[in-house]
Amino acid sequence: MSLAADRCLGIALMGLAAFTAVNALSLEVPFSYDPVGPKAFPLGLSILLGLLSVVLVIRPGENGHWPDKRLALRLIGVLALLLVYALLFPRLGFAISSMLVIAALARLFEASWPKAIATGVLMAFGGQWLFTHGLGITLPGLPW
Amino acid sequence: MFDFLIEGFGVALTPLNLGLAFLGALLGTLFGALPGIGPINGIAILMPLAYTLGLPAESALILLAGIYTGAEYGGRMSSILLNVPGDAGAVMTTLDGHPLAKKGLAGPALGLSAVASFIGATIAIIGLTLFAPLLARVAVMFGPAEFFALMVFAFSSMSVMMGKDPIKTAIGAVLGVLIGTVGVDSGTGVMRYTFGMPELYDGIDFVVMIIGLFAISEILLMLEHAHRKDVDNELPPLGRVFVSLKEVLACKGTMLRSGVLGFIIGVLPGTGASVAGAVSYTTEKRLVDKDNTFGTGDMRGLAAPEAANNASAAGSFVPMLTLGIPGSGTTAVLLGALMLYNITPGPMMFSQNPEVAGGLIASLYIGNLVLLALNLPLAGVFAKVLTIPRWVLVPAIAVLSFVGVYQLHSDLTAIYLMLIIGVFGYLLRKLGFSLAPVILGYVLGGLMEENLRRALAISGGDTSILWQSGISLGLWIAAIALLVLPWLVPMLLKRRPSAQS
Repeated sequence: MSLAADRCLGIALMGLAAFTAVNALSLEVPFSYDPVGPKAFPLGLSILLGLLSVVLVIRPGENGHWPDKRLALRLIGVLALLLVYALLFPRLGFAISSMLVIAALARLFEASWPKAIATGVLMAFGGQWLFTHGLGITLPGLPW
Repeated sequence: MFDFLIEGFGVALTPLNLGLAFLGALLGTLFGALPGIGPINGIAILMPLAYTLGLPAESALILLAGIYTGAEYGGRMSSILLNVPGDAGAVMTTLDGHPLAKKGLAGPALGLSAVASFIGATIAIIGLTLFAPLLARVAVMFGPAEFFALMVFAFSSMSVMMGKDPIKTAIGAVLGVLIGTVGVDSGTGVMRYTFGMPELYDGIDFVVMIIGLFAISEILLMLEHAHRKDVDNELPPLGRVFVSLKEVLACKGTMLRSGVLGFIIGVLPGTGASVAGAVSYTTEKRLVDKDNTFGTGDMRGLAAPEAANNASAAGSFVPMLTLGIPGSGTTAVLLGALMLYNITPGPMMFSQNPEVAGGLIASLYIGNLVLLALNLPLAGVFAKVLTIPRWVLVPAIAVLSFVGVYQLHSDLTAIYLMLIIGVFGYLLRKLGFSLAPVILGYVLGGLMEENLRRALAISGGDTSILWQSGISLGLWIAAIALLVLPWLVPMLLKRRPSAQS
């Protein structure tokens, strides 16, 4: 079991290699003077990837340290936050969306509430000022 | 012969470019000092912002190169003070750097490593000035077949030298090349791996790729260390701040040898600062470590990897500027940055864009002096950067990443793609991959295919063109030798004693 990670990866990569190969073969090439065409290179890559992943399955490396349940939850939390940031960014504008997301991120990285809120406010409005005046970047403005 | 350098100093000494070299050195040292954020992350995060400033190509490159060399200086801080390498190139620096700090010699250790970095970088920049134009003259003779062979050589030297696991390095490179094939095929106009999404027709954007791969994955990785207390607060006392001349002179041989070694390793395509640090440390250990003091706080053991990793940073510009083949993951990112400006580095750059090539080299001389001047007296100030808590650092990286990507692509698809690539990068790093081969594959893959197809178009499909010329044949042999020798040599060595007995 301790070698599972690399084996799973190897099998996933074989799938990827097969997918790339099938996809490359299905490319419809209109007439051209190019003797190689768009298929050959991805096809060669998929063969190489297939061979390498076989080696990986046969001789997997060490498993490394994978996150436990608590950490995995926080990882998903961070990703969800970044996704929320992406959604809010154009809607609420830079300053407000950043303030909320920065404070929440800081909380996830174990800052206390006052510190997290202070970081959010300072970084969001400081950043807004710096980006627009210092770098001349147009950011999505306030929603009103 | 050195006209380009004179022109280069003309470019680098304009107030704007001087200021940018200084800013780059400062930002680079700061980014390098932050644990986990090495040169490549620093450049990935700051590149889109530099691009939006509307700087001319040579100025943007001067800024980014300043960040690169600065980060190689800054990487030593957390190695010495906290025993946590600031970036991959500074791993070996911990071996003697941290014991020195424990002895109360953190100040002199920082000073000495700054001097060693300066000497290593100086040797390599002089090497760059001398060899780059020569190599460019040879490279003019390269046709598509030779370039294809060169890239095969680059990939094989990378799989052998970079990272612990050659198989994973090779897989990483193949994945990078595959990501690079997404989009419309330039030769025939066929869509490859776009899944009908118009956003992918132009391929996976370079900025989205590097920010996702380096910045977002770094955020996810940092979460793991969020609660690690030893990193956050305790800095050892610096002791006296200056290193004595006697201590520097005791390391002069080590610094000179490691500088030359680091330069050579940097020039080899695909091998960067981490290899240079490791090779120079083991070499010096063999050469000068008579009393077995390496690893217990020997100044020479600190000077060796620091001189070498800075030398390799400058050395890796040689293949990038002359052949268009990056010598390290970070120069791969710089190469991509230049392509945003529609400049394809290569042998013609010294004649066609001398202001870029010369300006860059001249700015490296200036930046190196600036770095020494910043790092000797201000080591204590920079060391304070290490105490920045992660709950400040991570949101800052997130904001810079989002603004950077949003700036160039005001649509959400780019940001989703960045997050997906970030998770992909995180998984790869957890699985023991190094990301440098992925980015090298991504940057070089397109060029590799283009050259292969151009070569075969010239020959009408006859593959023998790929190894017909002396240059390409030599490169093929070198590539195969690199792949085979690491397996063959130990086997032969093992057989010999048994044959004798």
